[in-house]
Amino acid sequence: MKTIAIIAGLSLAGLLAGSANAQLITHKDLSLPTAVTMAQTALQTCKAQGYSVSANVLGRSGEVIVAMRGDDTGPHTLENSFKKAWTSRAQRAPSVNFANTLKDNPTAGARSLSNMVPAQGALPIMVGNDVIGAIGVSGAPGGDKDEACAKSGIEKVAADLK
Amino acid sequence: MSHIAKRIAGISLGAAVLCGLSMQADAQLLTHKDLSVEVATQIAMTAVDTCKANGYNVSAHVLGREGQVVVAMRNPAAGFATFENSMKKAYTARTTRAPSGKFADAVKGNPNAAQFFLTNFVAAQGALPIMVGNDTIGAIGISGAPGGDKDEVCAKAGIDKVAAQLR
Repeated sequence: MKTIAIIAGLSLAGLLAGSANAQLITHKDLSLPTAVTMAQTALQTCKAQGYSVSANVLGRSGEVIVAMRGDDTGPHTLENSFKKAWTSRAQRAPSVNFANTLKDNPTAGARSLSNMVPAQGALPIMVGNDVIGAIGVSGAPGGDKDEACAKSGIEKVAADLK
Repeated sequence: MSHIAKRIAGISLGAAVLCGLSMQADAQLLTHKDLSVEVATQIAMTAVDTCKANGYNVSAHVLGREGQVVVAMRNPAAGFATFENSMKKAYTARTTRAPSGKFADAVKGNPNAAQFFLTNFVAAQGALPIMVGNDTIGAIGISGAPGGDKDEVCAKAGIDKVAAQLR
């Protein structure tokens, strides 16, 4: 009986603490024009370097905000740019980090999740320490070149990312 | 080789040669225009901006000749169903080579129309085929305005913007 009373007391305390902490979340999210500028800049940067690429800009929940299929790109590049971006958003890190993780541990758990790909070419989009999305690029001959274009897209809108 | 076998072989060879010749005579590569990502982006952004100026937040899809996504734009200020809907409207317009509103009219009162059993068809106005002459090279679909007619106005604005390139 005493135990039950203690449990009841703890539950009640939990409930009270719960309602005291209940607040809505305030945060920044990508707008469509910002996302379009990022994707366009990435495509143009790569094109200027002679690479035709596709790009995806994902939002906070991994949702597609902008997808752009580059001219004369391989048919897999749109999907690959999405998966790179997803990987980057999910891990809040450049997608190359996941590639390195799998090198060390080919059976890492995240390998079994949907949309994860161990390939360089995507970067998280940050507002301070908050990851609000990711941009992924695919089509250049080397993930490092894709990543450079992704980076140019983020830098183009750096002033808005605050 | 028996007589019959020889005849069969001869006929087969003759048919193969004839066939080969006739195929060669018809065999030519296709030459056609397709959307570039730049033109597609202009179409989509013009449509989104037009709707915004009209007071509506919309999402847009521009599909290419094979129904493939060339540009997809989710407007976070629009309802989340609008992204999928704009794709399906565009798909409907591309495959029927006509405004998606025309399909909606055609199947009105006929919920068992065969197209409803195919993927991505939607009976909703708001998408237009993108034409070069009589050739349908893609489609643009819009969703989010309060009424497919209002979506279609923005889709049209997108196409009109690049009319000079669509030839």
